[in-house]
Amino acid sequence: MNTDIHRLLDEAFDGVEMTADARELKEEVRANLMARAAELEAQGKSPADAARSAIKELGPVEDLLGAPARRRTSDDAEPDLMELHARNKVRPNPGFVVRTTLLSVAAAAALTLAVLAAFEVVGGSAGAVLGLGLAAAAILGFVTADSLQQETTSNYAMPAGRAVSWGLATFAGIASLAAFGAFAVDTTAVTLAVAGGALALASIGLFSWLGATQTNRHKAWVRGLEHHTAAHQSEFWNDQQAAARFGMYSGAIWITGIGAAIALAIIFAWWWALVVLGVCIVLTMLVQARMQFRPNRTE
Amino acid sequence: MTETDPFAADLLRGNTETIVLGVLRRGDSYGFEIHKAIRDAAGGDHEIKEATLYATYRRLEKDGLVESYWGDESQGGRRKYYRITDAGRAVYRGRVAAWVATRRIIDTLLDVKDNA
Repeated sequence: MNTDIHRLLDEAFDGVEMTADARELKEEVRANLMARAAELEAQGKSPADAARSAIKELGPVEDLLGAPARRRTSDDAEPDLMELHARNKVRPNPGFVVRTTLLSVAAAAALTLAVLAAFEVVGGSAGAVLGLGLAAAAILGFVTADSLQQETTSNYAMPAGRAVSWGLATFAGIASLAAFGAFAVDTTAVTLAVAGGALALASIGLFSWLGATQTNRHKAWVRGLEHHTAAHQSEFWNDQQAAARFGMYSGAIWITGIGAAIALAIIFAWWWALVVLGVCIVLTMLVQARMQFRPNRTE
Repeated sequence: MTETDPFAADLLRGNTETIVLGVLRRGDSYGFEIHKAIRDAAGGDHEIKEATLYATYRRLEKDGLVESYWGDESQGGRRKYYRITDAGRAVYRGRVAAWVATRRIIDTLLDVKDNA
């Protein structure tokens, strides 16, 4: 191993203020220099010569460090959200909008019919539930893959292969529900339950893999904005007491709400419970809107 | 030949970001390997300076076009690897399309016949 590299690298970084950035850069450079020195040694240079050449090729360290410091100061101007948004606007493809709308309606219709068939509201058979469910699964899988391949104002288009995988995972997930639904209608068809289980496993596996290997898709302007506004984006980020208060308010709203829902459902009719729970959701959202995103107070 | 070198080097340098994305598209890589890939492709005539490359990695990472992670080499320095993101792939495709279109225009304007 070439130890001259470490000494020369320390000399090169001598006098440089060791910020976190500089330290990280130094480590990155170190590994690259060692690889370059090894290459030069393989070409017949002595270890000392190889180390010296590798460092010399690198040039002055200030050049490596100069860029980020300058960029940070130029970022300080407050970005204007509306202007950024307008400048980066991507109009949706009209064909995509039309086909997504129509397909979503078709999928919703198929799902509704499948559920009605499963509960035998309309004359239902296991075959009908399975067929309608699979149709909905195929449509929603296609819509998912199609949507991910569209470039939007804030996101780049996803590569085709990954988008198709997301579509397949969606299909498998919904198809497994369809298989289980059909099995519920006809419990003698064990194959349906087995197929449902296999599809569910495939869907979970595919979703986990996609989630674990997902990389950034945001455009640079969105990232810049996130970075810039992170400090005053959410009240809860700065003020943990506000977050705790919000938790208590939500707890109070929901405990009262669920109690009231049960009481009303027992005394009057079951659908009163739905009304009360709906009111609870609205109240929670209002409280959150008021607490988390209140206008900037002057300090 | 030597007189055209600064011009050619400028052209190459102007496309550094796209070139790095192109190298990373083949697989995750670290500084020395990326630099070597560019050096080998350029045939030693001209190359992109390492300082330019380090600045490029940082800009690409800031814009979310690449992600970095430290390797687990037990011997010597740990390598900082770069991985292209979905955003990086989309930008790469757009830049390549722009390059192909521009090259055609310049070829026409400069009256380049396919004999060079």
